[in-house]
Amino acid sequence: MPVVKVLTAGIGEANLRDIGVYRERGGYKQFERALRTMSSKDVLDVTERAGLRGRGGAGFPTAKKWSFLPGKAEVRYLACNCDEAEPGTFKDRMLLEEAPHLVLEGMLIGAYAIGCHHAYIYIRGEFKRGYAVFMDALSQARRAGMVGSDLFGTGYDLDVTLHRGAGAYICGEETAMLNSIEGKRGEPRLKPPFPAVQGLYGAPTVVNNVETLAYLVPLLEKGAEWFASVGTERSKGYKIVSISGHVRKPGNYEVPLGTPVRELIELAGGLRPGRKLMAVQPGGGSSACIFEEQLDLPYDYESMQKAGSMLGSGAVVVMDDTTDFVRAAFNLVRFFAHESCGQCTPCREGGDWLERVLHRLVEGRGLQTDLDMLMKVSHEITGLNLCPLGDSIEPFLASVLKRFPEQFEARVLGRKPAPAATA
Amino acid sequence: MTQRQKDFPALCERLEPRCREIIAQYEQSRSALLPLIHLFQEHEGFVSMEAMGAVSEILDLSPAVVESTVSFYTLFFRKPIGKYMLQVCRGLACTLNGAENIMAYFREKLGIGHLQTTDDGLFSYEEVECLAACDRASCMQVNLEFVYDLTPRMIDEMLDAMRAGTYAVAALPQTERPSSTWAVNQDGQVALGDKSFGAQDQSDPNNAGGLDRDGIIMLDRILADEMRFRGRTRELLATANPAIKEVVEE
Repeated sequence: MPVVKVLTAGIGEANLRDIGVYRERGGYKQFERALRTMSSKDVLDVTERAGLRGRGGAGFPTAKKWSFLPGKAEVRYLACNCDEAEPGTFKDRMLLEEAPHLVLEGMLIGAYAIGCHHAYIYIRGEFKRGYAVFMDALSQARRAGMVGSDLFGTGYDLDVTLHRGAGAYICGEETAMLNSIEGKRGEPRLKPPFPAVQGLYGAPTVVNNVETLAYLVPLLEKGAEWFASVGTERSKGYKIVSISGHVRKPGNYEVPLGTPVRELIELAGGLRPGRKLMAVQPGGGSSACIFEEQLDLPYDYESMQKAGSMLGSGAVVVMDDTTDFVRAAFNLVRFFAHESCGQCTPCREGGDWLERVLHRLVEGRGLQTDLDMLMKVSHEITGLNLCPLGDSIEPFLASVLKRFPEQFEARVLGRKPAPAATA
Repeated sequence: MTQRQKDFPALCERLEPRCREIIAQYEQSRSALLPLIHLFQEHEGFVSMEAMGAVSEILDLSPAVVESTVSFYTLFFRKPIGKYMLQVCRGLACTLNGAENIMAYFREKLGIGHLQTTDDGLFSYEEVECLAACDRASCMQVNLEFVYDLTPRMIDEMLDAMRAGTYAVAALPQTERPSSTWAVNQDGQVALGDKSFGAQDQSDPNNAGGLDRDGIIMLDRILADEMRFRGRTRELLATANPAIKEVVEE
């Protein structure tokens, strides 16, 4: 079994919330080494050679994102995205609560790599405990001289501010997050300008996911070649995969990218006895389902995209033959309709329409024309919005509607109820 | 004037140093809007009009800007809520693992539904989106503290302990008696549900995805109207200029 312990090393064994314990295990050495012996450019080069890609959802090459910042020495910001709310994802919360110093060290290294002197971390409002844990870790690090001015006598100043959200999935979108940090409604901005040019307070800004930044620590320690030696050609390194749904041992599993999806499900204990797999959502609530015949695909960015889905945030939701896909589709569409910020009409109205249509299907009051309408409306929302939220409504709905049309047809008014799933 | 309103100036004075500290963490003072609202809510149990007014003064923003921002975020409660905020996850992973039964059990035990507060002001109940604890489904938060792997028995014990005042998670401050719901609509009036409950209203004529009063699907009706309109256009054109009649009829 390909389970590895890189970011997850020590979690559940040692109290990594204590800076003493973290430092005994080599903590903050990489940040110190970067500051003392490496230039910002060196850190960027290592990250580029390692082929590290964003672990938040889009999978954009991290070094490339950094390199978009204008070269002149000016005010620039790093914002660490810990607004984890993609349905099925629970890796960032684990890192935040169990390994806050690793997250902080990753942030510090990332900030240094882009020449930033004030980094922000945006923590989801619901993560009250995570916020307290990280706040404590930050004050420990400040006392130990890891955060503040003239760090390690190098003259480099770096401060960190925690910003707590207040219940809005959309704030995980990078420009919405920046608006939220600025004290505004969490509505995404029109792009361009991209945050790299005009981000927080109008200054060049990089937004990176918690897991992405955390990987900088082992990456500096063990080198770009170590990281690039695992994974596939274009998906390098490791990934924490959050596996949930109809598996016996749901949880976070750290694996090399490219591990077959079937092995991931086995890692999580497999299905319950006697159950048959019907669908897997491989990249969180925004991703289309893949099915039985695609389980041997390697779990990497390219393969998931080729299969018509995406790796996204690395949330694998497994669904067996007890799943009611009409209800599941209603569930996710309701989620997006609820979380739409309302700026763009297709997303705001379309999501609401779909939710209503699906609701009457769930209740067995569907209309003959509803299946076509679901396809049509969800497709017409896609591609017409400021941010990817609207585009996230179609994939799951369309994939299960195509695969299990009989489940939807059975909910049209006057039809006999669908036969109960057989064991 | 309520007791809370009478106490408000003293609270402001007490929180002032903390407000200054928070503002100092940011490059621009407006960034302190969310943390300041959090701070007031922690003390008052909800975001009062007075709190929004105070924050608008502290940050030199218009009250409308503050209220607009506050209204965007679901964890800011603009009406008083219960001492225990029960937020049960309705996300997909929890639903696959029986969350619907858990939610039904809560509704039955509490005698209230989504976005409602019990008459005694002790419990507020909400069904919330994915809480990022899918490995421990069904999950919920009590006053934002996680509770995992829910069973009906756990719910019974939890509610009993809360009623007896012995529950492990501290009760929220309650400076004003809550009404039946804290959800407010655009006019500041109490609404009975959020928009996700609109799905039940199948006869809303403005709901193009749904049914109108005659039970005709709106999209079909729009198409029918369009056909009628086209026919009418043909008639008008033909009357105005008989010469184009043939062209139109083709």
